[in-house]
Amino acid sequence: MGKAASVVVIGGGIAGIQASLDLADRGVRVHLVEKTPSIGGKMALLDKTFPTMDCAICILAPKMIEVYRHPNIELLTLSEVTHVEGGAGDFRVTVAKKPRYVDESKCIGCGVCASKCPVRVPDEAQMGLSTRRAAHLPFPQAVPLIYSIDERNCLYLTKGICRVCERFCEAGAIDFEQKPEERVIDAASIIVATGLDTYDPSPLKEYGYRRFKNVVTALELERMITATGPTEGQLLRPSDGRHPESVAFIQCVGSRSLSEGYPYCSAVCCMHATKEAILVREHIPEARVTIMYTDMRAFGKGFREFVNRARDEYGVEYIRGKPAEIREEPRDSGLSFWYEDTVTGEMLQRRVDLLVLCTALTPSRDNKRLAEILGVELDEHDFFVQPDHMLSPLGTTREGIFVCGYSQGPKDIPDTIAEASGATAMSAEVIRRAMRG
Amino acid sequence: MRYALYLGCWIRTELYNVEMSTREVMARLGVELVDVPGFSCCGYPLRSLNMPTMFYLSARNLALAEREGLDLFALCNGCHASISEVKYALDRDPDLVRQVNENLALEGLEYTGRSRVMHLLEILSGDVGVERIRTSLTRGLEGFRFAPHYGCHALRPSVVGRPEDPEDPKILDGLIRALGAEAAYYPERLDCCGSSLGIYDIESALKMAGAKLSSIKGRGFDGMVVVCPFCYKMYDSRQDVIKRVVEDEGIEIPVFYYTQLLGLTMGLDARRLGLHLNQSPVELAIQRMEEMWRG
Repeated sequence: MGKAASVVVIGGGIAGIQASLDLADRGVRVHLVEKTPSIGGKMALLDKTFPTMDCAICILAPKMIEVYRHPNIELLTLSEVTHVEGGAGDFRVTVAKKPRYVDESKCIGCGVCASKCPVRVPDEAQMGLSTRRAAHLPFPQAVPLIYSIDERNCLYLTKGICRVCERFCEAGAIDFEQKPEERVIDAASIIVATGLDTYDPSPLKEYGYRRFKNVVTALELERMITATGPTEGQLLRPSDGRHPESVAFIQCVGSRSLSEGYPYCSAVCCMHATKEAILVREHIPEARVTIMYTDMRAFGKGFREFVNRARDEYGVEYIRGKPAEIREEPRDSGLSFWYEDTVTGEMLQRRVDLLVLCTALTPSRDNKRLAEILGVELDEHDFFVQPDHMLSPLGTTREGIFVCGYSQGPKDIPDTIAEASGATAMSAEVIRRAMRG
Repeated sequence: MRYALYLGCWIRTELYNVEMSTREVMARLGVELVDVPGFSCCGYPLRSLNMPTMFYLSARNLALAEREGLDLFALCNGCHASISEVKYALDRDPDLVRQVNENLALEGLEYTGRSRVMHLLEILSGDVGVERIRTSLTRGLEGFRFAPHYGCHALRPSVVGRPEDPEDPKILDGLIRALGAEAAYYPERLDCCGSSLGIYDIESALKMAGAKLSSIKGRGFDGMVVVCPFCYKMYDSRQDVIKRVVEDEGIEIPVFYYTQLLGLTMGLDARRLGLHLNQSPVELAIQRMEEMWRG
């Protein structure tokens, strides 16, 4: 089919993975560009998915492996799109690949390099709750299962000393001579699937994030509770390492805000809080678990039933009310807050052992730079703009470039996958027209 | 460092110790305080009745400071907040400035917006600086532990520009530490003193203040440090009444205005700082300090 029948997919999260697989199965050549060392994205960090409580990585990992093995997919990790020329049906996409410092053809994924590496830095995949080495694999199910050396922290690459990994690697895969590479890919179409980032709630000082040890974000709790997390699935309070007897979730932290934060609803927090509340009860059956919500947005398929189940079967308490200020009791690092129960109109006070902030989810922080490279428009929050929100929800302001998943707008995993498949159809149509000439 | 000292009404008529201690310590920090004749009320009491008059009164005080070429140091937390609010409104509304200036012209004054409105916390932590405070001390308060209380007007409304972060203030903590003492977090530190509720519902106001004093008592602080005349009055002068209202006779909290504590560590005599006018049990704390300093 030649060069016309190829597509560049930007972003290796669940959206980019689904788009790549759909296209590749149609016989289209896909170049999947991922900036980190592994595909998987944010879904790979989740313990379970709502409303079915499926294990997230168990659904995702087979798709990741399929991407890696698919004859029509070229996976470009540690890579970013740096320049785009041409137009729909005939793009020339420049991709810059950062050195991995590990020879992809030699590494067997044994992990000796990481075990010998003396550098410890906060582990992004554990939300900084534990450390990793400079030579590392982001998470056990990473694809490709090839270690990489992080050049910002490696002693040899920053100070010219060490090289201990090289001495211990029996496969001889460590290669400090690797240089950045650049190549130009011909593509008929581009699919943007850059996903989401989490909002750091420290500017909302009333919630005490980073000031009070037992105030965590929902994604941190997700890691604290998952088997591959820093505590291997034991939910422990950061201040004293004990099981919390009471946990409260606060919704809309930085979302639906007219001052600090973002005005939009992040779309998934009512449900992921419900999911995490169930998980807390499963881990610590005697814990009192409360969700402080603004209003319950259980709009999707099976969502309302999921909330009912959490309330009736798991005893999760739902309170419509938003605490205005969190206080820490210095004696035991417990947290307390006043709130108005807006159903009954009562002013009440609550004390909990652990407080979870369900923070706003934002489009990828790198969207600004990427949009400039692609020549497309973003809205004021860095979501990609559609030419017609109603009739072309997956389009961008440039013909032949499509968007799917969270960077299009706030949404959950099933909607992301539906959009990814939709963007695939849009791309295929560009290819069909290009091939007809 | 020269400022036009603006005292407002309450400090001039009741809280002499706030003025006394401020004049004493500022002189030793190289800050010249200029008394500008003709200052009037800040206008705050008229805020909910007659906004234009409040704008006029605050603008007039600023215009008087401008005429002297000085920034206005509003010692009272409440005055500072209302003058800042007026300046914020004037600096964004040329029509309002025109109206105000029509009235100011009757006595040959003009508001241009040149003078800044300065807060005690800003002057001490900014213009003077913690280093200079440290070098001005002759003795320290090592081993003493104080509960800082900022007062709402130092923090809010944040949009008009307040000296401190409304949710996590730190300046007063730093200023207390500069004296060698410890300033510790306590959960109730941002609670209102209740003063503004006092006119309408004095019992609730006293209960609010009492809850905070009870907490401070239970946490083993050596005293409370305030930077607002209203808060000072509530916790210091009304402490006896509060005890009865919240039925906690054990409340015995020495309440210091920050400038008084600073003056003591500069080696100044307690009487020059007006500490004999404090109604909370400051004597006990001062006695312990003096015993420590005598060695």
